[in-house]
Amino acid sequence: MKVTLQRWSAWTPNCMNREAWEAWAKEPSVLGHEGKPEAEFLPAMLRRRCSRLTRMMLQAAFEACEAQDLSQVRTVFASRHGAIHIAVQIIDTIVKGQIVSPMQFSHSVHNAQAGLFSIATGNCQPSSSLAAEADTFGHAFLEAMLHLERAPQQPVLVVIGDEPLPPLFKHLIEEPEVAYAFGMLLTTNGVARPGSIDLDFDLTLESTPLPSLAWPPALEFLRWLSLGASGSLTLGAEQRRWVWRRALA
Amino acid sequence: MNEATPSANRAKGSARQPCALPAMGIVNCLGVGQAQIWPRLLAGDASGLVHRLDFIPGVDLIVGAVSAALPEIPKSLHRYACRNNALSLLALQQIEPEVREAIERFGSERVGVVMGTSTSGSAEGEAAILNHYRHGFLLPQFEYPQLEFGGAAGFVAAYLGVRGPTFSLSTACSSSARALASARSLLALGVCDAVIAGGADSLCGLTTHGFQSLQAISASASNPFSANRSGLTLGEGAAVFLVTRDVNASRVKLFGVGESTEAHHISAPDPEGRGAETSMRGALADAGLAAKAIAYLNLHGTGTQLNDEMEGAAVDRVFGSHLPCSSTKSLVGHTLGAAGAMELAFCWMMLAARGDAKLPLLPHCYDGVPDPKIPPLALVAPGAIREVQGSAYVMTNSFGFGGNNCTLIVGDGGVA
Repeated sequence: MKVTLQRWSAWTPNCMNREAWEAWAKEPSVLGHEGKPEAEFLPAMLRRRCSRLTRMMLQAAFEACEAQDLSQVRTVFASRHGAIHIAVQIIDTIVKGQIVSPMQFSHSVHNAQAGLFSIATGNCQPSSSLAAEADTFGHAFLEAMLHLERAPQQPVLVVIGDEPLPPLFKHLIEEPEVAYAFGMLLTTNGVARPGSIDLDFDLTLESTPLPSLAWPPALEFLRWLSLGASGSLTLGAEQRRWVWRRALA
Repeated sequence: MNEATPSANRAKGSARQPCALPAMGIVNCLGVGQAQIWPRLLAGDASGLVHRLDFIPGVDLIVGAVSAALPEIPKSLHRYACRNNALSLLALQQIEPEVREAIERFGSERVGVVMGTSTSGSAEGEAAILNHYRHGFLLPQFEYPQLEFGGAAGFVAAYLGVRGPTFSLSTACSSSARALASARSLLALGVCDAVIAGGADSLCGLTTHGFQSLQAISASASNPFSANRSGLTLGEGAAVFLVTRDVNASRVKLFGVGESTEAHHISAPDPEGRGAETSMRGALADAGLAAKAIAYLNLHGTGTQLNDEMEGAAVDRVFGSHLPCSSTKSLVGHTLGAAGAMELAFCWMMLAARGDAKLPLLPHCYDGVPDPKIPPLALVAPGAIREVQGSAYVMTNSFGFGGNNCTLIVGDGGVA
């Protein structure tokens, strides 16, 4: 499968811009999990109501787009854990016999980020919200390909983000403790923008286990991009392997 | 009365290739499987709705709860053992022979799974947290994949041993309609040769308290499109389909997908129904069908003030006032993330039950008092049959929270 990655953007508490990410890619250091982005592009009223995950994902979404893209792109919002922090707060409220807030419930759905992006940008294009356990990033990339299959002329914005699990659940799974969001704009048609990369994307099977990753798969992908996208990158879970290669002209 | 034939109504070249839905499994409060559910739906039997006091303290909640015994999740898959996945399994078992045959034929790496859910195993997460609150530790049987959204698809793939793409979509009430859209694209792109697609949702504290907080739940059973309607009734269940390219071996085919978002409000639809209209028109264009080719519409019809008013206006703009339509949510409740696949399954059974030209229509069950604020619609009376010459095409709407809409068209038409 061929696709052009036109632009990308990412946010963590320690790396908030392209220069910081390029330095991190060369010499990865600990990424934090405290703090949240300004998200100054959001109207104040909306911004106050957004969770940190939403702010991170919308920050990455806005920066991966040029202004004219915002209302035109199809979107894929992906997160393994989604609004688990809000869900746990709501369950806590229920368990204590208190009244659940409608605003909190509205922001707890898995497509909250997609809905808020649509409201903030006036975007009425099709949108998916996805989760696929430890293999969420590769499937989010695939879901973007499925949107491009339906509408080849329309760019697709993919945004993935996650936070460390609430303390209550932290011991249940093993994963890097990072709060991050990553966004990328994918196309199969149209003019290449400065810095765009043509990619081949494939799915294969492999029974040898993958070594455990130091960073979430999306940030491993970002590192590979930042270091020039040379050779190929393989990510996945269980036997599934997603392989990215810079396409030959 | 309907002159639909492939050549008359499907504009050549403009429509995309349909995909086949050769097998369907279903469970909801009316029972398990086509043989139990179809006659009760057709009879407008609302006796599956029950009163429950255990979800919200002090509230007598009417819900479409599944009362059938649920299969046990295999011990080796304990990490996925939750009610939501047991509902999926009960639906999946009905089509397991066809699914196993497809896996055998294409290879496990060529079969994918896409499931829609809005709850996943929230109920088990809630029980675990309650135990933590009372005793200081989570329930020992609780594992994270029971709760996470991705587990809804992960379970189905692990149960079947398939190794193709496996992901969950969660766009509130349009989740599992979207699963069918992604399944079709997986086939079209050549990534898969067969996909198991559908949805499951299970009653839990999060959704009952959440919709109650939005004042969206009706104190009596939902009464869609009535002047007296006062909200929705929650339900639960699962519906799954085998999706393949074998259009010649399947009566029911997926002809059209329409999708839109609304840029309007986080928990309320656009009052003019513009997103709903875009979604329906998109599905017609995708199928290459004129509005007059549609024989029946299964409405989203939640029974809330806003949904029914905006949906009625949108249907009127796309179809006028003569298209037979009904909401089946007054019989099975609103199964949220499963609703798209559930109501697609109702349309599937309708096409499967067609005899010659006679297409049995699902009744719209309500108190019979139309809302003067909604343009008049041809709400289906019990026992109604539509004469359809040639191919029949039916449509189903799913409009999600957060403004995420998806419309599907299935039909028994031939393929050019």
